[in-house]
Amino acid sequence: MQIRLKTLAGAIALTLAGASAAYAADPIKIGVIGPFTGGSSSMGVSMRDGVRLAAEEVNKAGGVLGRQLQLVERDDEAKNERGVQIAQELINREQVTAAVGYINTGVALASQRFFQEAKIPVFNNVATGSVITHQFKAPEHPNSYVFRNAAHDSIQAPMIVEEAITRRGFKKVAILADSTNYGQLGREDLEKALTAKGITAVAVEKFNIKDVDMTAQLLKAKTAGAEAVLTYGIGPELAQIANGMAKLGWKVPIIGSWTLSMANYIDNARANGDGARMPQTFIQEPNTPKRKAFIDSYLATFKPKNDRIDSPVSAAQGYDSILLLAAAIKQANSTDGEKIRQALENLQTKVEGVVTTYDKPFSATDHDAITANIPVFGEVKGGKVVYAYPDDQKNPVRAKTASK
Amino acid sequence: MEILTQLIFSGIALGMIYAVIAFGYQLTFATSGTLNFGQGDALMLGALVGLTLVDRLGLNYWLMIPLVCVFGFLQGAFVERIAVRPAIKTKSEFGWIMSTIALGIIFKNVAENVWGRDDLTFPSPLPEAPLKVLGANVLPMEILVVGGAIALMLAVELFNRKTIYGKAVVATSNDRDAAGLMGINAGIVITFSYGLSSLTAAFAGVLIAPLTLTGATMGAVLGLKAFAVAIIGGLSSGMGVVVGGVILGVAETTTGFYLSTGYKDVPGLVLLLLVLAVKPAGLFGKTAIKKV
Repeated sequence: MQIRLKTLAGAIALTLAGASAAYAADPIKIGVIGPFTGGSSSMGVSMRDGVRLAAEEVNKAGGVLGRQLQLVERDDEAKNERGVQIAQELINREQVTAAVGYINTGVALASQRFFQEAKIPVFNNVATGSVITHQFKAPEHPNSYVFRNAAHDSIQAPMIVEEAITRRGFKKVAILADSTNYGQLGREDLEKALTAKGITAVAVEKFNIKDVDMTAQLLKAKTAGAEAVLTYGIGPELAQIANGMAKLGWKVPIIGSWTLSMANYIDNARANGDGARMPQTFIQEPNTPKRKAFIDSYLATFKPKNDRIDSPVSAAQGYDSILLLAAAIKQANSTDGEKIRQALENLQTKVEGVVTTYDKPFSATDHDAITANIPVFGEVKGGKVVYAYPDDQKNPVRAKTASK
Repeated sequence: MEILTQLIFSGIALGMIYAVIAFGYQLTFATSGTLNFGQGDALMLGALVGLTLVDRLGLNYWLMIPLVCVFGFLQGAFVERIAVRPAIKTKSEFGWIMSTIALGIIFKNVAENVWGRDDLTFPSPLPEAPLKVLGANVLPMEILVVGGAIALMLAVELFNRKTIYGKAVVATSNDRDAAGLMGINAGIVITFSYGLSSLTAAFAGVLIAPLTLTGATMGAVLGLKAFAVAIIGGLSSGMGVVVGGVILGVAETTTGFYLSTGYKDVPGLVLLLLVLAVKPAGLFGKTAIKKV
């Protein structure tokens, strides 16, 4: 009996060893962090779905280094303190190889320092605060582990001003920004961009998240004679602005940051929201084969309402972030954070994403994949975002300009 | 002038929203000396239940209102039985504070799980084009909010003064023990007043939902502001909450315009501190005499 038990145990041990060898190595864990609930969830959920789609495609093609990608998803609820907890959990308990996500600038600034300390690359694929990729600059920090593929505010703010002042010829503009990190950093960027054109905003107003009455702010802008309203906020409050303007019977164009494309702006402002324009890195229009494949498989997999991706920009940028990361892990031939960072800073292969084709997107000094020439102008029309200018539509994919 | 009128109109609409919620605080305070700190969440639940009835079940907006009122009444009675009655029974001075706040949080979490955490649009029953009144723009829905709030408060006042049941409520609010000796079941009256207070909140919820957005977190800010209004106006005066609400609403819009939109919330809170310092019973409140 004794002997039989021993052989049995041996047999089990052998089978287990054999099984794990057949399964090759463990999966590569990638953290996915974003607000999947709450006011910015349309961005977070679309981002996560884009990431899932890319990971599934990579895995179907055999994974990276012969290993499958495994996503570890966490909801940060757009709260800084949740973000900090999640960063620590992903690093210490889940031991992720890299992380993607961050929708909210405040959450990113509070949490990415843990990845920096642990030398694990972290991708901001939606948050746009200009300071995000400059948080760990030389000389205090020899290397930064923070990367981004989103059009940051110092790209968007000048674009918004260019559109309002140069293209459409408005002389007087008002700025309406929310009181969060995002809104106030964006307001500074807008004011800087206006100063560069020799213009001062006729009114600069603030509103809080969950404000239900925008009369005071809008009346100030109106009496100051504003010909256009420049906004920095998120969907629900932006909808209150559009609805408030309709109530006052004051119709001037709204031009603002890319968040004007959020589903909860479009749905809550309905007809009042039409005509709003914002910079977009991606518009849900199948004008290249890669984009068509992406949109088709997104719609087939996640079945969003009215065949409209809630936040196409977030979905596209999330999708691309995984492709970039996979290429870097392959080139590094390792899951060591240090080596992946080096590979990202000197990516040898071109990566065809849906936003653009990434050809050396990062360098040691430049961790932003999107440059000013990439975003186009989108416009809200009949419940979705379309191209504002036919020229952009004909020339949909632009490559990054050479690094400064 | 036109601008001031516009600011005042918007302030009144905002203030009446606060007032009708503040009125709910008063109803329970009168009968039992306790407050339902979950008023904001009762409002949110009313709005979300109303949205489900209108949106999913295709019910007419006007038919939905009585159903939401019934729901609000039951919800308030539930809060009283679960959270407040044990505290009153054990003569605990402050137990009801914690338990009503706790129930409010539970309701919010339940709502987040049922309806999600996104803000939803409530279809407007009235045309959305603004009307011109004295040179200022007013939405038909805003007029409905003001009218509906006043009508509701009048209805409750009439009920208290003219019906025998209402007189029982008034008797209980004057002296709970004496009312008990006269054969009034004070326990039922208190449950009833909680039901009534949540009913007003739920009603306020469906009134304002087409103006604001509907979502699990909509009650938090409104409940707090309404509480300030109840303190400013006085916890024992129906007139007080209307005046207090309008003062706070107009103060918010005018400060936002004439001072700075960043300081919009300051004057209301300064007013609250002033009232507490100078006339703690509120602008229209009766000073309670407490013998020790």
